[in-house]
Amino acid sequence: MKITDAAVYPYPLGDASVRRLALEAAALGFDSIVAADTPSGTYGGVEVRSGLMIRDVPIKDVISAVKRSKDSGRVISVNAANNNFNRAVIGLKGVHILRGIQSADKLAFDHVAAKMAADNRVAVDIDLSPIMMGRSVVRQRAIHRYMDIMVLEQRFEFPITLSTHARSFLDMRNVRDITGICSLIGMDIPDVERALAGVDLVLTPQVPSVRVIA
Amino acid sequence: MSTRPPTLREKRRYILARIEPTGTMLEQKELYYAISDATTSLWGDATTAIITPAVVALEFGHVVIRCRRGTERELAIALSTVTACRDVRICLRIIAASGTIESLRSRFRPKKTPKTKTQPAPEPESEKTDTVIDAGIEPVLPECTFVKKTFIIVHCNGQKVDVIEKGFKNTNRLFLTKDDLENLNATTISDWI
Repeated sequence: MKITDAAVYPYPLGDASVRRLALEAAALGFDSIVAADTPSGTYGGVEVRSGLMIRDVPIKDVISAVKRSKDSGRVISVNAANNNFNRAVIGLKGVHILRGIQSADKLAFDHVAAKMAADNRVAVDIDLSPIMMGRSVVRQRAIHRYMDIMVLEQRFEFPITLSTHARSFLDMRNVRDITGICSLIGMDIPDVERALAGVDLVLTPQVPSVRVIA
Repeated sequence: MSTRPPTLREKRRYILARIEPTGTMLEQKELYYAISDATTSLWGDATTAIITPAVVALEFGHVVIRCRRGTERELAIALSTVTACRDVRICLRIIAASGTIESLRSRFRPKKTPKTKTQPAPEPESEKTDTVIDAGIEPVLPECTFVKKTFIIVHCNGQKVDVIEKGFKNTNRLFLTKDDLENLNATTISDWI
């Protein structure tokens, strides 16, 4: 099980280089990070996974972008929009994570989408930055949405990932802090452990429970 | 007014946190306001009154925060939401919690080395640099190149290098490593040739 921060943005998107983020991640107790637009590698004992974040594009463009980087080994994540879009994205083969659910429509992720996510093994990302950096309404809304997601997760058991969306090493938090922040949305320690290993889970190819030999 | 006997005083706990980025100059009062704001924003006035956070020491890049015993967890979560102190971006990394300030002070105060009889000869004044060389902190280089721009190194510890762009336009810190500088210096050599 690898403890992974599911989204960080190194330089030039942020103010820290990917090596520095990896060094800090190692100090904070992470085994791997998913870095946007960065080649994969290992720095300071931390595995850096290349991440592709697709946002604000129609479903047609999402399909072509996913096709292009299907076997590249990148962690492909798509920003959530309305319900139809989310269902279409979850149904796409090659998509690993659905992000930004806290800023999407209220009914964007319902029980049908949750069931589809569990079946297709698409993770829903919990972005901790609105809780850490947001104040008042932004934070309250994010906590409410995540609590709702957790209710669906308990019922349908789809994968969850945790991310800090750090643009600097100052935005990164250690595993203990993350556990504390996640307790605000009703996640206990086993839930957090499962969520931190979520990226590993969605990248592992699914083995069918029944195998037909002949 | 006489002080209460120890058995009647409320029990307190102290949390030690490191301030990052290293070398950030903060005032105790400003940091208290930042922590109080974060706690109130997260837990509300009623719970903050129970926690009663207070900054009791700010030295050597570390801060000691007092709270009521039993509320350490709430304070620790609130501390992880502190992102700025009067427009200066900071981050508090919790190191330890204790019942006394002194035990926490022993964790971050530089240890005094016993004086030996044979002291090394002091450096002549001309050889001394302006850079303060503390234990564990390497002497910093004055300048470096990164993405074809010149930066001033403001802090260097192990692999970690903090730089600020030379000039007055952009004073944001960049957080790099020595490897970044070496690689990027290697790529910029061709420009000089």
